Amino acid sequence: MRPPLHLDLLKEDERRSSSPIRLRVMMPLTALFLTTCVLVWWGLLFLRVHGQNQLVEELQQAVTSFTPSHTAVLELRAQEQEYHAMVHQLTLYRNSRNLFGQALSNLAEHVTENIQFTEMRIPPPSPPTVDPTRPSSGPTNTFELVALRIAGRTGGERPSEAVNTLLAALRTPAFTNLFRTAVIPKGAFRQDIARNPANHETLLFEITCDCVPRRFQ
Amino acid sequence: MTLDVPILKRLTPSMQRSIGISVAALAVGLLALFLGALPQRIAIENANDKIRLMNARLTQMRADIANTDQQKKVTGKVMAEWDALAASGVIEPLLGSFSMRGKSLLDPIAQQTGFHIDNVRELPSIPLQLPKPAPEQLHCRQPVEFTGVGSYQQIAEFIALTEASQPLATLSGLLILGQPPTPEKHKAIITFEWPAKGEKIKPETPPKK
Repeated sequence: MRPPLHLDLLKEDERRSSSPIRLRVMMPLTALFLTTCVLVWWGLLFLRVHGQNQLVEELQQAVTSFTPSHTAVLELRAQEQEYHAMVHQLTLYRNSRNLFGQALSNLAEHVTENIQFTEMRIPPPSPPTVDPTRPSSGPTNTFELVALRIAGRTGGERPSEAVNTLLAALRTPAFTNLFRTAVIPKGAFRQDIARNPANHETLLFEITCDCVPRRFQ
Repeated sequence: MTLDVPILKRLTPSMQRSIGISVAALAVGLLALFLGALPQRIAIENANDKIRLMNARLTQMRADIANTDQQKKVTGKVMAEWDALAASGVIEPLLGSFSMRGKSLLDPIAQQTGFHIDNVRELPSIPLQLPKPAPEQLHCRQPVEFTGVGSYQQIAEFIALTEASQPLATLSGLLILGQPPTPEKHKAIITFEWPAKGEKIKPETPPKK
């Protein structure tokens, strides 16, 4: 069998590619196609940006047209918050009220004839604690201690019993809504020897009533 | 301008032209991509964000505006609550004096009870605890000290009647001293405090982002 005969019909410039599609044609076509695609994409994006800018303008106009009404609502809301905060602050104050009138009126009924008050004192409130780093944030203490101190003298028969009765009365429900504790401090029940050393019949006493603290809450 | 590349010299002129056109087309394409399309895409993303924000704002504004009547009612209610509270005992100075205001408020009660007021003194105000959020218009505790003379019953009644008629007045200090020459009459230093208008603070500006 004879070997097959090969005829080389390709031109010299066609020898580099085995593809029947010519590279020198396809390469620029592909490049032009890609470039055209990019340009078309750019054009579409440009149109979209234009549309979006128009939408932004429309929205801006709508926002501008609503602004006066909206500002009025916001002012109303700010007013509400301001008044609400003021009411809240005064409520803190109102909640801290201790009423003494009724207790002081009731007290007279429990003072026997052989007891005489010489002094009643509710010390003024101590200055509130304030955070020195933030003085504008107001007092940091939420409650304030209040106390009533009663000083008096007693004499006659069974003076200690009279004072004890008074002390017991201060611990009854007529007073416990205001006075949490009522005690005679140590050494506060004593003979009145300062005024008259010979007088051993008159006794001095002090009663300290710790009141319900004022709670600013 | 000519390119002196040996490999190109070996190519045929038509191939050289083809490469030249391709390179030029790709260069234009790349320029269009990097200078035109990609910046436009970024612009679109930015515009999308802006539109989203503006839409949200517009929706919020519409909702707020639709709520105007309700807001008016709520604000009116809180203002009425405040007016009632203020009328019940937030004091203002009388001709610049809190002591005169206190005297004008409690003189009738003193006359009614028989407690004789000798002197009235305005004490330094005490700051009041702040709620959260704090109001711009702050209120403080304004103590006023009344010095007078009366029997124990008169003093107790004076205090009780004041507390009953002044819903925001609070007894914040008391000193009743027995006087040996007049056992029935005592000297009393009674301090009542009322809420009063304090300083006005500037609203806190939110921190800038």
